[in-house]
Amino acid sequence: MTDAALSDLRVVDLSQGVAGPYCTKLLADYGAKVIKIEPPGGDVSRRLGPFPQDLPHPEKSGLFLHLNTNKKSVTLDVATASGVVILKKLLARADVLVESCPPGRMDGWGIGYEQLREGFPQLIYASITSFGQTGPYRDYRANSLVSMAMSSIMYATGEPDREPLATGCEPADFFAGLQAFVGILAALAYRQRNGGGQHVDVSLVESVAAADEYNAAMYAYQGAIRRRYYSRHVFGYPMDILPSQDGYVVVIPGAQGFPVPLAEQGASPMALLLEDLELDQNPLFHTFQERWVRWRELDDLILPWLATHPSRQIVETAQELRMPFALVPTAADLLEDEHLAERDFFVEMEHPGGVKLRHPGAPLRMSETPLRSGPAPTLGQDNEAVLGEVGYNLEDLGILRDRGVI
Amino acid sequence: MAELPLDGVRVLDLSHVFAGPTCTRILAELGADVIKVEARQRLDISRILIMTDNDTADQPWNRTCYFAVHNAGKRGITLDLTAEQGRGLFSRLIPHCDVLVESFTPRVMKAFELEYETVRQLKPDIIMLSMSGYGQTGPYRDWSAYGMGLEPASGISAATGYRGGPPIRTGMSFTDPLTGVLAAGAVLAALRYRQRTGRGQFIDLSQQEGAMALMGTALMDYQMNGRLAERMGNRSSWAAPQGCYRCRGDDDWLVISVENDEEWAAFCRATGHPEWAGDERFADVLARHENHDALDVLIEGWTREQDHYEAFHLLQRAGVKAAPVLNGKELLLDPHFRERHRFDLVDHPVVGRRPVPRHLVARFDRFEPRVDVAAPLLGQHNREVLQGMLGLSDEELASLEAEGVIGSEPVLDLPEGLTFEMLRDVIRELFRIPLEKMQEMGAVQAVEPDYRQQLGLDEPAGGS
Repeated sequence: MTDAALSDLRVVDLSQGVAGPYCTKLLADYGAKVIKIEPPGGDVSRRLGPFPQDLPHPEKSGLFLHLNTNKKSVTLDVATASGVVILKKLLARADVLVESCPPGRMDGWGIGYEQLREGFPQLIYASITSFGQTGPYRDYRANSLVSMAMSSIMYATGEPDREPLATGCEPADFFAGLQAFVGILAALAYRQRNGGGQHVDVSLVESVAAADEYNAAMYAYQGAIRRRYYSRHVFGYPMDILPSQDGYVVVIPGAQGFPVPLAEQGASPMALLLEDLELDQNPLFHTFQERWVRWRELDDLILPWLATHPSRQIVETAQELRMPFALVPTAADLLEDEHLAERDFFVEMEHPGGVKLRHPGAPLRMSETPLRSGPAPTLGQDNEAVLGEVGYNLEDLGILRDRGVI
Repeated sequence: MAELPLDGVRVLDLSHVFAGPTCTRILAELGADVIKVEARQRLDISRILIMTDNDTADQPWNRTCYFAVHNAGKRGITLDLTAEQGRGLFSRLIPHCDVLVESFTPRVMKAFELEYETVRQLKPDIIMLSMSGYGQTGPYRDWSAYGMGLEPASGISAATGYRGGPPIRTGMSFTDPLTGVLAAGAVLAALRYRQRTGRGQFIDLSQQEGAMALMGTALMDYQMNGRLAERMGNRSSWAAPQGCYRCRGDDDWLVISVENDEEWAAFCRATGHPEWAGDERFADVLARHENHDALDVLIEGWTREQDHYEAFHLLQRAGVKAAPVLNGKELLLDPHFRERHRFDLVDHPVVGRRPVPRHLVARFDRFEPRVDVAAPLLGQHNREVLQGMLGLSDEELASLEAEGVIGSEPVLDLPEGLTFEMLRDVIRELFRIPLEKMQEMGAVQAVEPDYRQQLGLDEPAGGS
C-alpha cells in the first residue's frame, strides 16, 4: 500500500455539520487518522438528507456519507464530566483538535483553547465558526446565505432589476473547510519549525469574503461600486451562460476569440464558429467596450446560431478554435461524463443497508501519496477499538453507555 | 518578527490570473519566497484587467488592481519560455526551488519541455503542482478553461438561479479561489510528506474536479431519488422564510434565514409583528414553506422601512440569522472585517498605497500570515533573482534584455512600421472600462472620486 501524505497525523474531530467535517474529510482522505466524536444522537448531518426514497435514517444521509469518508466514529457526550475525561485521553495522543461550536461553548465544557493549552502544549486547536473568535459580530450566526451576502459576491450576482442572488450548493461551508485545512497544515508546519501548538480561528463569512475577485478592488483602486449585471465580468462580453439548441452553454471567446486589435490575423475564431466571416467587419467585433454596452445587438448575432446547435458540438468546435467555452452539466450529466469516467473520478462505495453510491473522488491526484477513498463510519462503530486504545475495557464501555456518555 | 511556517521555502510560479495566483498568494502569506514568472511576450492577462483610476496612461501593465490584489507579496521575473535561452535559465532556477506551480493546459508545459519527468531530473524532491481546468488526462485535458466556465462545468451553475429561471453564473470566477485554496493545501501536505520522507511528487489538480465536493448533496440526491437540484433563488430546502429582501436606500438588501419555530418567534418579536407568529399560514416550518410567497410580501413590507445594517444587528441580536448584502465598498469598510484585518495596506510604486485582501483567512495566535509588499512590476526582480540566484553578470543580463528574453516592458507583436509609442492612444482606449456607461446601464452603482479619503488611504501608515 502506498503511503499517504498525512499518515502520521492524528486528529480528534468534534465538529458537526458541513464546514468542519469537510475539513476533516480532507485530513482523513490525505491519510490522517481522524476520530470523529459524535454526541450519542449523532452528527446533525445524519438527520439532514438526502435519504434514499426520502426516508430519514441516521446511516443513510447522503450529506453525511459524502462528508465523513475515511473517519472513525466514537460517540461521546463532551457536555458531561466523564466525557471530558475521555476526550482528554484521546487528545493526549492527538496532533489536532477540530471543533465548530459557537465561541464560548467549548469553554463552558472546560475544553476551550485557553483551558487546554497548558495540558496540551503541542495541540493544534482549530475552531470553525460563523464570524470568528473576535470582532464585533463574534456572537452572530451565519450560514451559507449570510456568508454570501457579506462577501460582496452576492451583490454582484443576478439580474440588475432583481434581488441579488446567492450561489447554489451552499458553498460557504466548503470554503471555510478548505481554509481550516490550510490553516491546520500551516500551524503544523509552524510547530515542526518552532515547536508548540496554537489556536487556528476560521470563520465562514471571511472564508467567502476572501473569494472576492475584484469588487473591493474596483472601489479601492477606481472608486467604482460594482453591481450585478447578469453575472457578467466587467471586462468582456459575451462571457455568460447562453441557451443552445438542447440546453445551455458557457460562451467565452477568451483573449483571442474576437479580432485582436493591432495584430494581423485571419478570420477570428468567433466568426469561424458562427460560420459567418463577414462578422469580422462588424464594429461590435472590434472593441470590448462596444460589446459590453451594446450586448443586445451582439446577442442578436450570436443567439440564433447557438439556438440551432447542440451544446456539445458548440463547445467542441469552440475548443478546437482555442476558445474556452464550457458545458453546463447537471449532477446526472456529470455522473455520465466521458471525461470524468476516463479519469475514474467517481468512486463507488457500499454503505449500510446495501446502499451503493458513487462519490466525488479525490479533488486532486498526488503521484506519491494518492488520497484515500473509504466509506463514512456508522455511529459509534469504533467505540471499542478507539476507547480500548486509551484503556477502557468492555465493562467500562458498558457503564459509560448506560450513563449516556457514549 | 515571528518566524512564518514557510520561511525558506521557495516557489516558482508560472500560474496566471486567479486560481493559481490564489494558491501561491497563500504560500507567500505563510512566508514562502514566491517567484512569479511571466514572459514579456505573454503577460499574466490580469495585467490588463481593471486599470487603477481607469487610467491607462503610464505603464498600464503595472496599473491593474486585478493583478495587484492577487499577486502582492510575490517577486516577479520575466523569461520567454518559448526561447531556448529562457528555458535554459528557468531550468537553472529549478534546483533552487521547492515547489513549481503552473496552470496551463498540459500541451503548454510539454511544448516548453518542462514536464514533471524533466523537472524532477533537475530537482529530484521538487513538488510540482499542475492545476489546469480539466486535469492532465482524459478527453478534455487540452480544453482551455477560464474560471467563469469552470463553475458551470463543475455542476454548480445548474443549481444556481432564480426560481423557474435559467442557470446563472456567480458574478465572478467562483471556483478559482476555491481550487486555489485547495491547491495551497495540497502543497502544504506534500511539503509535510517531503519533510518526513525526503520525497517530492507531482500533483494533478483538475479545477473542475476540485470544485465538485460542492456537488455532493446534488449527486447523492440524484442517485438516491433521481431528483435534480432545482434552482431555488435564495430559498432553502429547510429554512423558511429565507430570502433576500429590499431595504430602505437605493440598492440595499438584507438576507434573512429562519430555520425553526424558535427563530420564527424571535423574528416576529424583533420586527414588531407578533401577529405573524399567530398567523396559521405560518404556524410551522411546513406552512411557512407552503406560504412563502405571502410571507415574502409581509417581510419586504417591513424591510423596506429598515436600514440594511441596522436590521442586521436587530435580527442577529434577537438570534435570527441575517446579513446586509455588502457591496465592494462596504466590504472594505465593515467594522468586523476591519478589526480582523481582512485587508492589509501596501505601497505600490506606481499606484501608491492600496489595500490588498488576505487570501488565507485562518488566524493564528503565534504568527500572522500577511504580505507587506505590493505585487511585482513586470520583470521587477530580474536582476535580483538572476544575479542573486544564478550569478549572471551585468553583461549577460544586458544581452538577455537586448534579445527580448527578459525585460520590464511587454513585447507587442506589431505590424511592421508601427511602434508602441505610435499606438499609445489606441492602447489607452483599449483597456478602459466604460464606467460611465456601465453606471447608466446599472452595472456600476456609483463612482466616487473621493474614495481615497473614504478609505483613509492618504493617512499616515499604521495598519488597515
